[in-house]
Amino acid sequence: MIWLTWRQHRRQLLASVAGLLALAAVLVPTGIAMHHAFDRLGLAQCLGAAATAGCPKKFDDFTNAYGTFVFLAVLLLVLPLLIGIFWGAPVVAREVEQGTHRMVWTQGITRRRWILTKVFLRGAAVTVFALLYGLGTAWWWEPMSRIDSDQSRFGAVFFDLQGIAPVGYTLFAVALGIAAGTAIPKVVPAMGVTLAGFIVVRVAVAMAARPRFMRPETNEWLVASGPGRRREAGPGSWIMSTTVHQADGRFVADGTLRCPLPADGGCQSDNDFGVRAGAYNLDTFQPADRYWTFQAIETAVFVLLAALLILWTVRRLRRVV
Amino acid sequence: MEHVLVADAVGKRFGKRWALKDCTVALPAGNVTALVGPNGAGMSTFLHLAVGLSRPDAGGMRVLGADPYENITVLADLGFVAQDTPVYRDFTADELVVMGGKLNRRWDAPLARTRLAQLGIPPRKQVGKLSGGQRAQVALALALAKRPRLLILDEPVASLDPLARQEFLQSLMGSVAESGTSVLLSSHILADLERSCDYVVVMQAGRAQLTGSIDDIVAGHRRLIGPRHLGEPIGGVTAIVRERHTDRQSTLLVRTSGAISDPLWTVQEPTLEDIILDHLAQRDERATYEDWGVAA
Repeated sequence: MIWLTWRQHRRQLLASVAGLLALAAVLVPTGIAMHHAFDRLGLAQCLGAAATAGCPKKFDDFTNAYGTFVFLAVLLLVLPLLIGIFWGAPVVAREVEQGTHRMVWTQGITRRRWILTKVFLRGAAVTVFALLYGLGTAWWWEPMSRIDSDQSRFGAVFFDLQGIAPVGYTLFAVALGIAAGTAIPKVVPAMGVTLAGFIVVRVAVAMAARPRFMRPETNEWLVASGPGRRREAGPGSWIMSTTVHQADGRFVADGTLRCPLPADGGCQSDNDFGVRAGAYNLDTFQPADRYWTFQAIETAVFVLLAALLILWTVRRLRRVV
Repeated sequence: MEHVLVADAVGKRFGKRWALKDCTVALPAGNVTALVGPNGAGMSTFLHLAVGLSRPDAGGMRVLGADPYENITVLADLGFVAQDTPVYRDFTADELVVMGGKLNRRWDAPLARTRLAQLGIPPRKQVGKLSGGQRAQVALALALAKRPRLLILDEPVASLDPLARQEFLQSLMGSVAESGTSVLLSSHILADLERSCDYVVVMQAGRAQLTGSIDDIVAGHRRLIGPRHLGEPIGGVTAIVRERHTDRQSTLLVRTSGAISDPLWTVQEPTLEDIILDHLAQRDERATYEDWGVAA
């Protein structure tokens, strides 16, 4: 069975390895260049207490040179989905489409063993791929995530493409593909269902579930504290919302407001939103040290979903003729 | 008598439609059995139940003395060639033989290789690039390499040209005669069967209409031609299978229990094909003019 799995899918495996190498050929040189520039410009000092007057210019230089890589980073998000479509959907669907399931399931092994061997071997291969990908992108994106709090490794989108979460996504995508191919034993429609289902579940977890993995922390600070005050959420944390409230807690606006209040109340700027004395900013955030906890929870959620899909597939397969 | 396959009032349902219903068949060991019937009669469904690919919704199926559903013990003694002789098209014939060795405990690779060599099938060419006849031979060689006690083939010759069909059946019969394997094969093509098979199951609308050895069936049926028949009993006739009438003359296919003595009737010996066709015709479900919404 191991031999059969290898023989049937070796071309696919080699193609995926080639794809991964092609990706590495892009990420490794650009990553080295980014790390190099980060060190050369001395940005680590700028981020620390020893920031000098030249620092904003240096940040600008760095962002101008490498800021466009953000598009590449977003493209990397679809990789687990692609693996699910091409590694998952055809497993059962192609066999049934070509009728070969009737040949292979009437040899001397049960179809349960057949599917479990395939799932296990694919799972192992895909996990290795996803780990290489997740840890590779984490290294690649590290300089950018350190200088821009919106692109930190904890932030939406960037959280999803590094660390161990891609392992969960990829296993889920493959399991979804296999299950879709079992429910709809035609390769192309199964691929379509995998595509749609993956996007729906990923967005739902990212938007609805992830902010609730742990109770977020809040930080209140007065509008009157004046310009130049840093937020206390800290670098590398996930800022979920920033809002401005009156002293009695009434919501004023999204965003942050920093200005000295004159005696009669209200900011001296044009856009004062009518804030009164005692108005405060409210930051809701997940602290940076929760990053790996969140990665672990996110991965566990998707691995669990993948396991449920495989369980369903094994049961459903008994009814496929 | 030992039976290789016993189906007891087997039923199989797809949604609301019963593809098989009350299907009762018992196949004695050592025969080459033809399963014949029109499209949609439930023959493939029956064979899938027999090889354990699916499970009956009613009744019981026993193959080689056990329930075949997902049963490795039965599978080990069973060779199956599914419809359209599916094999992995990107494998070479030699790789398929290797595959069989990996998936089966008992596997006679030299047997498969010898057969394929005799048939001149290229070992290192993708089977998807072989002709339909050659691919069918590869599938048959794989099934035979299991050294099965029962070999089941689902329309193995349907997609083959007449020459390839004849070669396939010849090589099949040759190899099962040597090993004493029982064979059950389904077919739409009646012509070749009388030569290659000795037992027949005629299936229609999910039921086995007629089961028996070909010799008995041919001996037990007669065609009678005589004056317009109005339903009166005829000596020696146990049942009328099909009757056709003109104004003055009736042609009957009947089952007989002895010689027909009545001199009014001209007695002919029908061929197996005639008998099967008349059995199938008697319950042909025909659409009416109403179904089409036109005047008769």
